[in-house]
Amino acid sequence: MITDLLSTTVLIGILASGIRLATPYLYAAIGETFGQKSGVLNLGVEGQMLLGCFAAFYVAYTTGNLWLGLLAAMFVGALMGLAMAFVTVNLHAQQGISGIGFYLFGLGMSELLFQRLMGTVETVKGFPKIYIPGLSDIPGLGEIFFNQNILVYGAYLLVPLAWFVLNKTTLGLKIRAVGENPDAADSLGVNVARVRYFTIILGGTLSGIAGASLSIALLNVFQQNMTSGLGFIAVALVYFGGWKPVGVLGGALLFSMVNSLQLWIQVLGIPVPSDIAVMMPYVLTILVLVATVSRVRSPSALSKPFERES
Amino acid sequence: MLKSKAGGFIFQLIAFMLAMVFVSLILLAVGASPLDAYKNMLTGSVGSMRKFAEVLVSFVPLLLVTAGLLITFSAGLWNIGVEGQIVLGAIGSVWVLRQFVDSSLPPALIITLSILGGMVAGAVWASFAGMLKTFGGVNEIFGGLGLNFVSTALTLYLIFGPWKREGVASMSGTEPFPDVFSLPQIPDLRISPYALAIALVAVLIVYFILQGTYFGLKIKAVGKNIRAAYLLGIPTWQYSLYSFLICGALAGVAGALQVTAVYHRLIPSISSGYGYLGLMVAMLVNYQAVWAVPVALLFAALNIGSIQLPIVMKLDSSLSGVLQGVLVLFVLLTEGVRQKFVKKV
Repeated sequence: MITDLLSTTVLIGILASGIRLATPYLYAAIGETFGQKSGVLNLGVEGQMLLGCFAAFYVAYTTGNLWLGLLAAMFVGALMGLAMAFVTVNLHAQQGISGIGFYLFGLGMSELLFQRLMGTVETVKGFPKIYIPGLSDIPGLGEIFFNQNILVYGAYLLVPLAWFVLNKTTLGLKIRAVGENPDAADSLGVNVARVRYFTIILGGTLSGIAGASLSIALLNVFQQNMTSGLGFIAVALVYFGGWKPVGVLGGALLFSMVNSLQLWIQVLGIPVPSDIAVMMPYVLTILVLVATVSRVRSPSALSKPFERES
Repeated sequence: MLKSKAGGFIFQLIAFMLAMVFVSLILLAVGASPLDAYKNMLTGSVGSMRKFAEVLVSFVPLLLVTAGLLITFSAGLWNIGVEGQIVLGAIGSVWVLRQFVDSSLPPALIITLSILGGMVAGAVWASFAGMLKTFGGVNEIFGGLGLNFVSTALTLYLIFGPWKREGVASMSGTEPFPDVFSLPQIPDLRISPYALAIALVAVLIVYFILQGTYFGLKIKAVGKNIRAAYLLGIPTWQYSLYSFLICGALAGVAGALQVTAVYHRLIPSISSGYGYLGLMVAMLVNYQAVWAVPVALLFAALNIGSIQLPIVMKLDSSLSGVLQGVLVLFVLLTEGVRQKFVKKV
């Protein structure tokens, strides 16, 4: 019944899983924000996530150590980022193309490795929920915000951290300068290539964590193509969020909350046609897209390779 | 020599070989024989007439999409929404078929209308991305990504909603149409010569537009330098929009052919990633229509050749994706190196 949705327990359940589901979007989209702020559009997020997903799962499954799994995902993501940086920064490749190349590579590679090294779908015991004395006991709010696993907390801590780095540090200033006007930044002695290497590798690492959050913290399985477009949504979230970490947070939450609502509607068997429920997050995307039209300006040098004029 | 076309070709060849070597190393690392894998892919794609027909089935949508993308790339546009345009083409064509499924019109006419329906639907969908870009200032990459999600959602909605199969709806798609509504195929082979002809004609048209018309020249001018083109009196936003429409129309035909020549129904993953692959092919051929045919054929052969890998040697068919991705990256790599050389010389 539709009234079931309004009971307190269900509302809390919806909000709690909404908070949880935003995790992979947050890691990936914040990472992508750094890249785009420095002028690099990385369309390969999905591929980085998938490889991170698999690496985390495989290592956690074979060693039984979740942290090693997470580390493996970060390493794989960073490695993909390094390759992306080399191709885009040193070789001035078109970023959209190289990104899709990395997407195809990550997609195929994760499936290949899965088939070769595992073959069947297994499960792991993912990161446990962390009980915070006091906070977790707050009625309602405790269940929603403070009964999550470590990667969820990490994702939300990342938002203010990213905001701080981008807006309050010299590094952030350099990143923004490189994304707005690389020539000027260069003439002021900023090493454009180094800044972009940093942001792309950081983005890759965070995408790796995003993948890990799916396979060893939220769903605790690995399946082929399990991100199913999530990485591309993350790229779009950066745009919806106006290249601001807080905006990205807003977009990610909106998306995950609607997704959570949709899942709960199905779980509760509420007679809202399931097809409409499935569509909700997508329709929302386009509504937000229209709403953000011309509201924000992209970094001026976005997707333009930098070459020093000599 | 490095500057010449031949030089470029040699570098592409080097890239191809490097990609093969790189993938071989990956295969060795996971304990599979690269030689066996390549041999299986070769026999799996051109080993028999039947296999080659399958390659052509995959070649048709890829070529159509690539042809369309050559136009948007020429206009300097990143039509990543092409995936959604394929999907809408499929939806449009299914919609038309559903209208006439019980009518007494000749099937040939209905199929033609259905392909046209797909063409229109693809173009309309592309025009959304185009209008978001030209009137809303939404970067076409983000607009396209958004529209791709919506097209996926629309497909799911139709399959589980209004176009639900009798009984229970499922991911296997809508109820297949009767055989009379399929494009005729060569006996014993799955390829429809009509579909193949449509794709080849499309490439020819695109080649002609880009090389031989004033219209194509204007599109290229917009792509090369939008400000200069504007100052020369070209209504740049109109030409951007035209290029979206043409690309969308061709992607829509690709989607319609997936329905009328391959699946005979709407399935959730009807675009099968051909949009992204098309972007790769268009880039690999350096936006030259003539080369689109062989390269699209190669990609299609990789797709089909890898299908039997899981059965024969416990390798995943995703090897083709790895190979395609790596190939693109190595082409970018060698191209970057070549540019550096050219500058020094």
